[in-house]
Amino acid sequence: MPTHDQVRELLDRGHSYEIAGRELHVPAGQAYMIATGRPADSGDTPNPGELRVDAPLPGGPQQLVNPPALNPTRNARVMEWVRARAARDLKGGS
Amino acid sequence: MGACSRRARPEGRQLTDRRLAAPSDWPLLRQLRGPDRLGRGAAVKSRGSRELQARTAGADRVVKSVCPYCAVGCAQNVFVRDDRVVQIEGDPDAPHSRGRLCPKGSATLQLTTGSSREQHVLYRRPHGTEWERLDLQTAMDMIADRMVATRREGWEWESEGDRSRRCMSIAALGGATLDNEENYLIKKLLTSLGIIQIENQARVCHSSTVVGLGTSFGRGASSTLPGDLQNSDLIVLEGSNMAEAHPVAYQWVVEAKARGATVIHVDPHYSRTSVLADMFVPLRAGTDIAFLGAIINHVISTESDFREYVLAYTNAATIIREEFEDAGADGIFSGFDAEHATYDPDSWQYADAFMAAAAGQRDQEGNIAAQPEGSDEGEQDRGQPHQDLTLRHPRCVWQILMRHYAEYTPEMVEQVCGVPPEVFAKVCELFVANSGRERTAAFVHGVGWTQHTIGSQYIRAASILQLLLGNMGRPGGGVMAMRGHASIQGSSDIPTLFDTLPGYIPMPHAHAHHDLEAFIAGNAPDKGFWGNMRDYMVSLLKAWWGESATADNEFRFDYLPRLTGSHSTYDTVIEQIKGTVKGYILYGQNPAVGSANSRMQRLGMSKLDWLVVRDFSLIESATWWKDGPEIESGEMRTEDIATEVFFMPAAAHIEKDGTFTNTQRMVQWHHKAQEPQAEQRSDLWFTYHLGRMIRERLSGSSDEMDRPVLDLSWDYPTEGPYDDPDAEAVLAEISGWDANGEMLSAYTGLKADGSTSCGCWIYCGSYADGVNQTARRKPAREQNWTGPEWAWAWPANRRILYNRASADPQGRPWSERKALVWWDEEQGKWTGHDTPDFEATKRPDYRPAHDATGPDALAGDDPFIMQADGRGWLYAPAGVGEGPLPTHYEPQDSPVRNRLHRQQRNPARQVYEHEYNRYTADPSDPQNEVFPYVLTTYRLTEHFTAGGMSRWTPYLAELQPEFFVEVSPELAAERGLQHGGWATAISPRGVVEARVMVTDRMTPLRVDQRTLHQIGMPYHWGPNGYARGDSMNELSSMSLDPSSHIQEVKALAIDIRPGRRPRGAARQALAREYCERAGITAETGMAP
Repeated sequence: MPTHDQVRELLDRGHSYEIAGRELHVPAGQAYMIATGRPADSGDTPNPGELRVDAPLPGGPQQLVNPPALNPTRNARVMEWVRARAARDLKGGS
Repeated sequence: MGACSRRARPEGRQLTDRRLAAPSDWPLLRQLRGPDRLGRGAAVKSRGSRELQARTAGADRVVKSVCPYCAVGCAQNVFVRDDRVVQIEGDPDAPHSRGRLCPKGSATLQLTTGSSREQHVLYRRPHGTEWERLDLQTAMDMIADRMVATRREGWEWESEGDRSRRCMSIAALGGATLDNEENYLIKKLLTSLGIIQIENQARVCHSSTVVGLGTSFGRGASSTLPGDLQNSDLIVLEGSNMAEAHPVAYQWVVEAKARGATVIHVDPHYSRTSVLADMFVPLRAGTDIAFLGAIINHVISTESDFREYVLAYTNAATIIREEFEDAGADGIFSGFDAEHATYDPDSWQYADAFMAAAAGQRDQEGNIAAQPEGSDEGEQDRGQPHQDLTLRHPRCVWQILMRHYAEYTPEMVEQVCGVPPEVFAKVCELFVANSGRERTAAFVHGVGWTQHTIGSQYIRAASILQLLLGNMGRPGGGVMAMRGHASIQGSSDIPTLFDTLPGYIPMPHAHAHHDLEAFIAGNAPDKGFWGNMRDYMVSLLKAWWGESATADNEFRFDYLPRLTGSHSTYDTVIEQIKGTVKGYILYGQNPAVGSANSRMQRLGMSKLDWLVVRDFSLIESATWWKDGPEIESGEMRTEDIATEVFFMPAAAHIEKDGTFTNTQRMVQWHHKAQEPQAEQRSDLWFTYHLGRMIRERLSGSSDEMDRPVLDLSWDYPTEGPYDDPDAEAVLAEISGWDANGEMLSAYTGLKADGSTSCGCWIYCGSYADGVNQTARRKPAREQNWTGPEWAWAWPANRRILYNRASADPQGRPWSERKALVWWDEEQGKWTGHDTPDFEATKRPDYRPAHDATGPDALAGDDPFIMQADGRGWLYAPAGVGEGPLPTHYEPQDSPVRNRLHRQQRNPARQVYEHEYNRYTADPSDPQNEVFPYVLTTYRLTEHFTAGGMSRWTPYLAELQPEFFVEVSPELAAERGLQHGGWATAISPRGVVEARVMVTDRMTPLRVDQRTLHQIGMPYHWGPNGYARGDSMNELSSMSLDPSSHIQEVKALAIDIRPGRRPRGAARQALAREYCERAGITAETGMAP
């Protein structure tokens, strides 16, 4: 089992958790847990004081242990429909 | 985290493997011989456990979602493999739920992917004795045909000489479990068809909260979020069993306790919530206003109020009209019309000023406000309120409040509520000690407060107390309304309710609102943000009728059908029985067991021509015609019932895109994870295609009654194998856009000239910048406790309402410990931890010009921006149907006489005279003793409302398999009830049986100089599903709060006796026998 220092060393060299895990033969989520003391799926119950982290992973650490998450927030087709509605319904103000 | 599953393997092979396991594989030997001497890893794994895999392990994607049960709205991760859902877990990133799910949420996988869900359309032909299969397209065609025909038969152009333009022959019920987008399309389509009897569970659960909070503060929704309870110094849970009904939200109460807060639970019933409280106060069900009124009296008489806050932010100093007379010993305010059992609220108004209410009975004052054109009187009536900042004027609110509650003493609390004076004194002490500049207290309530014939005033009483103590708009303060369905808040906001349009714009009334001008004059105050009602209304009309809505035709205001009184779900039942309502659509609601007086509900449905039931399983509302209690008793014969029934299997939340709005006003998007099976379809699909088919049938019609539905904007893009309308397009329409097709960022951008479109003004900005703001999921660790970047909250992403009041009139936090938003002089704007609930750049010292209107008329220190005077209303001059101040009245069915006022019951309550809806006699009548006990009702963690989403779910049914009744050991001895045995409960309406639980959780109280026993019953049961039992609602009556039309099911008088109930015809005969003994007729209890 890799140590905290081993994982930190790789991270300090700019590697991601995925690469650190690969180098040390553990899953990326396990590398995250060794480095931070917290499970990557965020499945603990931190108190509010622990909610702040120094360097949060963009998108959160769940991606290290779960399959890709789908959460799209933009939809070009909808915006095209909105523009057509606006052009038809709101032309000339009334 | 992940539940485990064993990879498929022949059973015989497992046995063989076990037999062949060599001694070297024995765990202890492995441990001793190998490197894992402490047995912390590999050594303790067997071959079997090594092969176990989490269900999540094989998933190929995670879809972000939201729990479909209660209104905590716990975030979910839905794991999908090969386009089928394989596991559902809590999403730990969520600020409000932190990855947790309760037993119901944890059973979501079984709810959605289990075998209990129907997959095909079922049809019961008139007089038919069995279900038949019908293909989906045929069923849709038949429903569309019936909608068109029944609408035409029930069309009404006028009512008593006023233009009503409506259809009274079709009604709908349901929406609290649906997505906002679905509710939006239902309301839009049915309104365009002229249908007004549109209702949902929000009527039955928290409509009185909307009235109580809305009239007090300006908005009828929870002022805060459960997560902010962690900042409270005192949490008072009253009318809420939060630990049981909203367990994941209760973590924040526990968090507060860990930080040193005190927790009080006031309730008739000791529960899991009480276990974790510092103090449990048992009180008699139905007496909370007496209890709260006495605390108000204590605060005023000891001058323990937060005086600076009270003077600056409430209407304490406002002078009331000379004509106003307080309820006094009689218990009746000025303006009461005994003949019609209603109030004329004219005398309650401010002196020399007219205030329109921000919520509640806004039509109440419609005729006052809608002055004839050119009338000087109208302008005079809308003048400036007078104030006496010394609070000594005999007609100022402060003095009226003091007089009104003078008789609400600790001694009276003991007599009325059964709470000893020393316990009451401790509660008062804790309230006062934990309020003020440095400390804040919060109220948490649920339906224990709302479901009374004076429910709106329960909420008003708590609101008054929070204003007196300066707890509104501040961290750790507020009134937290715990709502019960995934989107019941949303179904209030975007209402499938008869009396409102989206965003709490009132539905127009036939009696007053002939045109848009009169409507705005009658409902919109001159000042505050409701002063911009015209902007909101015109933008809504543009969203619905698009290019057809122009200034020349008042944006099709005339297309809206008109109200002529109460058209609530209970009024609809009466209309069904009368034969006026012929067609009925149920969207995920189960009135056959879930609404008050379920016998009346079934009777109503038996009179219909057709009924559409959209649900997961064959709930009681779908099957009453073949196996309901009246079939067993012989009162109805299946072959005689002409109602045609369509059962349409519904899609689950994982099978559709859309938003739920949770109890903290947070609108959360859930993504579709899989397609529904067979003929299961979403309510969005059903409503959109039903509308499309009706429009096809009516195309070419020249009948004026068809114009609203033909001119409707109904061209949503569709997607997927079933042509589902794009829910995101519907959300975009709700959010609103301008003439350039740019999405609006806030409701302040709406215009009354027809240049903006917005389906619900309070949701304006939920799709700002073309981004689905409701789908935002920034992890909790990366933001503050209010979670501003997790989803989106109405209005304008404000998480704690009225937060301007967290700062003093000069804009400085009342204390650093309780800082939330404040004025930043350097930046020239309001800033802080939350989005300011105030105009961002309005200075604290801003003073409006004399002729200013709308938001401009509010000063820089008026924090309640929806109120016509910018202040919190200690005294409500309008909006509440039973008086400007909460007053204690006994429940409709009560074995106790009113000690505080001569008036026994709420004089303005709504009651229905019907032989199936009998009430108990007045307690002064000796025969009242036939029903000597007080019944109260509640929810269990493992079940959900009327059981439609839990009694068919094996995990949940197994956890709570049987209907039961809780009684104290003293009552058990008095009535000979055996723990684990059976008991029969009787009310004037019906009879039920339940297993007996003898428990100290029910406390006998000393009330009115005698011992009073209370009985507790959960309300989830019915005869169908895996967990079966009688429905508590066989006992309850249709008696309503007049302001909100909510029913009283939290306090009623019953009798109980040992043994099982009679079967067949003898069941109802027992209820009749009790009525005869008590001298009860259909007229009993009807007098004001």
